[in-house]
Amino acid sequence: MIFDKKKNQKERFEFIDFWVEYMKTHEDKEWSRQQAIIINSVLKRTK
Amino acid sequence: MKISNKQIILDKVINELDRFVIDFTNILKKHTNYVIVSGYVSILFGRTRTTEDIDLLVPKMNLVDFKKLYQDILSNNFWCINAENPEVIYNDYLNKDIAVRFARKDAAVPNMEFKLIRTIVDKTSLKESIEVKIGKNILKISPLEMQIAFKKKILGAPKDMEDARHLEKLFKDSLNMKKLKKYEQMLR
Repeated sequence: MIFDKKKNQKERFEFIDFWVEYMKTHEDKEWSRQQAIIINSVLKRTK
Repeated sequence: MKISNKQIILDKVINELDRFVIDFTNILKKHTNYVIVSGYVSILFGRTRTTEDIDLLVPKMNLVDFKKLYQDILSNNFWCINAENPEVIYNDYLNKDIAVRFARKDAAVPNMEFKLIRTIVDKTSLKESIEVKIGKNILKISPLEMQIAFKKKILGAPKDMEDARHLEKLFKDSLNMKKLKKYEQMLR
């Protein structure tokens, strides 16, 4: 099998669960600072 | 993050997508009510992805009111991607249940996908909307239970299932399960 969709989805769900836990145990400013790096860098590439 | 029945207070670093939404809705709220639905709601609450469009629902308005809103949008350095003439935008798009997109001048993305409210699901999203306070800014979003139900029952793409899981896990202790069931039935 070249690409295991189910395994990939499971891994992505696992990261979501981790990230939510991270958000709950850190200040809004901390998780959103990291989120802003991702979002701002993507939007910067569209300019 | 502080969560109450009708308001969530976020102490977040405002990213460029948030800024875009805040700037546009600050114009909009002078003219009409609105509710933000779909992907941006999950992103607002921390999903580590971005989007090219933000889905926005607005109550039906007449052409005269739309022209006033449109003029205000233009004078605040946004443009309509679909057409320039407000009568064309209103008659050929919005009145025919076709969304139009507004972006900042000199850009095409991100854009606000602006649609007039039509369905019972749209109406419920607005009527039962909740406020999200970020500093001095307030955004109106669809109930989280509706977001989850819609993404799981109607959209269903991997990205939507991930958005739904994110919201479900994050708001696990505050979601109204009766409401969620009600919305799921509404969407059948």
